[in-house]
Amino acid sequence: MSQLLEATFWSATTAGGLRLATPLIYASIGETFAQRAGVLNLGLEGYMIIGALSSLYVADPTSAPLGFLAGGLAGMALASLMILLSIRLFANQVVVGFGLTILGIGTTGYIFHETTDVGGRARQVSLPSEIDIPLLSDIPWLGDAVFGHSWYTWLSLSLVIVAGFVASRTVFGLQVKAVGEDPDAAAAKGVDVLRIRTQATLVSGFLGGLGGAALMLGSVGRFQPYLTANRGFIALIVIIMASWSVWGAAMGAFVFGFFEALGFNLNNAFVDVPIEGLNAIPFFVALVILTVSARWARMPRGLGANYIPTV
Amino acid sequence: MDFTLESSEIHALVGENGAGKSTLAKVVAGSIRSDAGSMSLFGQPYQPSSRREAAAAGVAHVRQQLSLVRGLTVAQNLQLGRPGAPAVFNPAAARSEVERWCDEFALSVPAETMVDDMPLAVRQQAEILIAVAWGARLLILDEPSSALGPLETSALIALCHRLRAEGTPILYISHRLPELAELADRLTVLRAGRVVVEGADVRAADLREVANLMIGDVTLLEVSRPEIERGSTRLSVSDLSVSSTQEVGCRGLDFEVAGGEILGVIGIAGNGQESLAKALTGQVKLSSGHVLVDGVDISGSAREAIGAGVAHLHEDRATGLAAAFSVADNATARHRGSRRFTRFGVRLPDKIARHARELAQLFQVHPPDPAARANSLSGGNQQKLMAARELERNPTVLVAHGPTKGLDPEAAKAMRDRCFAAAQAGGAVVVISADLEEVADLAHRVIVLYRGSITDAFPIEDMTSERVGAAMAGLTESAGATSG
Repeated sequence: MSQLLEATFWSATTAGGLRLATPLIYASIGETFAQRAGVLNLGLEGYMIIGALSSLYVADPTSAPLGFLAGGLAGMALASLMILLSIRLFANQVVVGFGLTILGIGTTGYIFHETTDVGGRARQVSLPSEIDIPLLSDIPWLGDAVFGHSWYTWLSLSLVIVAGFVASRTVFGLQVKAVGEDPDAAAAKGVDVLRIRTQATLVSGFLGGLGGAALMLGSVGRFQPYLTANRGFIALIVIIMASWSVWGAAMGAFVFGFFEALGFNLNNAFVDVPIEGLNAIPFFVALVILTVSARWARMPRGLGANYIPTV
Repeated sequence: MDFTLESSEIHALVGENGAGKSTLAKVVAGSIRSDAGSMSLFGQPYQPSSRREAAAAGVAHVRQQLSLVRGLTVAQNLQLGRPGAPAVFNPAAARSEVERWCDEFALSVPAETMVDDMPLAVRQQAEILIAVAWGARLLILDEPSSALGPLETSALIALCHRLRAEGTPILYISHRLPELAELADRLTVLRAGRVVVEGADVRAADLREVANLMIGDVTLLEVSRPEIERGSTRLSVSDLSVSSTQEVGCRGLDFEVAGGEILGVIGIAGNGQESLAKALTGQVKLSSGHVLVDGVDISGSAREAIGAGVAHLHEDRATGLAAAFSVADNATARHRGSRRFTRFGVRLPDKIARHARELAQLFQVHPPDPAARANSLSGGNQQKLMAARELERNPTVLVAHGPTKGLDPEAAKAMRDRCFAAAQAGGAVVVISADLEEVADLAHRVIVLYRGSITDAFPIEDMTSERVGAAMAGLTESAGATSG
């Protein structure tokens, strides 16, 4: 019990939360762009897992950065199916999205099975070294919380800043919001709705793939079937919690990671509490946040509806 | 069609619904291409093939359905799609640009407010502001005042005059004559796609004659109108006002309709008809007044209205019917939950289908197939299906909104007969329509709506195109409706 009163327990939980949040930050920021553009991109879990496998298979013989990039490209490749089927051929977004998730999980499991010899060497990568920011890690308490993160985490945090800028301060960001809110009016202003939705979905595929790759290369190191374990769906919840804001999505991802880490650490502190109950903490917190945020959350008006150009 | 717009003038284009005003505007704005003929703009040959091209040439079209993107602010809308805008958006610069234009034209458009949260009049000002900021050299305003109150309209007129003073010519499309006298320099009248009057000086024009020209001759076709015995007052409307953000409301309506009487409500579409129909059928909260059916106040309660026997033929069949449901479900919708068609809360499909088939045959719905989906029927048969549902039991009050709109002559006659039958059975009938002939065929008495108020009321024998045209265009001083 006394552990809960120690500052190190909380700084360690914060640090662990940020580590666990890293894949979610990539995935939820990408998905935020797609959904702001009106594309309900339920294939996110699929983009993540295909990104995870691809990153491992490229990083194993080459290097981690190359593998990371490959993960993003693989997610983008799966997302182009979403673009083809839903955005261009107007198939139902929910059906295609779920289909891509199932396709991603199934395909990666199959490939892993077919390429792994029993008793042979399993493909794996060594986990990255920790990078400390000199002055930052000297700050008491906070220094411990931001201590010991890999470049995947630092890159995800820089991405938040860049994505926030793109969403609110560039014409592309405006176009994304316009085609998600009011595609007819946007088209009347000369915005190419399908092109913007395509680009936003590609962004989401790339970042979803990076999220899977960050999970693989940054904290797991070796593949197992269904490695992502619903993290794509958690990212979808995070976006609703964040009311489709980029900053909010990053915050929401961190909240999820924090409570997940809290569950782990509480499990160490209280061995007699069942781990299943502690693992449920983030979801319980999400329910509370979703209920409260429903008061002000405004979803993009055109979300989930295909836009069929009149001309 | 020949038509010239001088530089720095406000040219009004008037005509009835469907006279071709909006089509002409769309051709000029590049939305549709002309089949023949040529245009020139500021002396240059001009043949836009898209809105983009027209916009690049400096033609801006502010349409009836405003085209600001909802969910964005005015400043964001200013930057979105702007020709030659840099890729990075500077919110502070966009805001101060909106403020600068506001100063120049004495507007108060909030730069940082979401478009959704602004009243219609401000949205419209924002749209004009954006058009000017983008460098429009010619503005087309399509029915800009149709949703505005008097104060907002005078603000719009002031804005137009300021724009003219800056040298921007305006093509102003309207069917509201009174404001044109104050606003425009010249006036062109369209009727059925043809120019009837071209470029007349507004100050010299006789607006009553213009109103008459807009409408053309109303031919009072002889429709065999049955003799109907007049009963006592069944529908009584007093001081009825409805305020609405979506559509034009009603202001201070007073009228009564007796059993066996058919009252026609005339007006150009968008002058409060939707609000009136909703008020009479209890579908909207009244801001003042009462609607009494046989002495029972049904104001603001659709349940009580149905209970009091009010029937409603909705203007839009897709809304008036449950379009994706079957003929049987639609025909028996008024019996929902009735013991006749359920046992222990479970529906009895055979009984429902049998009753629906009988009703469909009685009301000549074709095909009389209870399982067919309502939206698989033709428009005329949808209308008959709606009538079957509403008129199965004789209504105390029938509100028929455009009952014969878009129907072929035979189906139209069937609907007219239904209205007569409802009156003959002792019901009070209100026919709301923008189609003068439809009203002339049915009504005993007429009231005219203009901007939600009654501008004239007279028995059908006194209906002339001059009188109706003047009242519809708002040229008649509000004459309180005669009741009876």
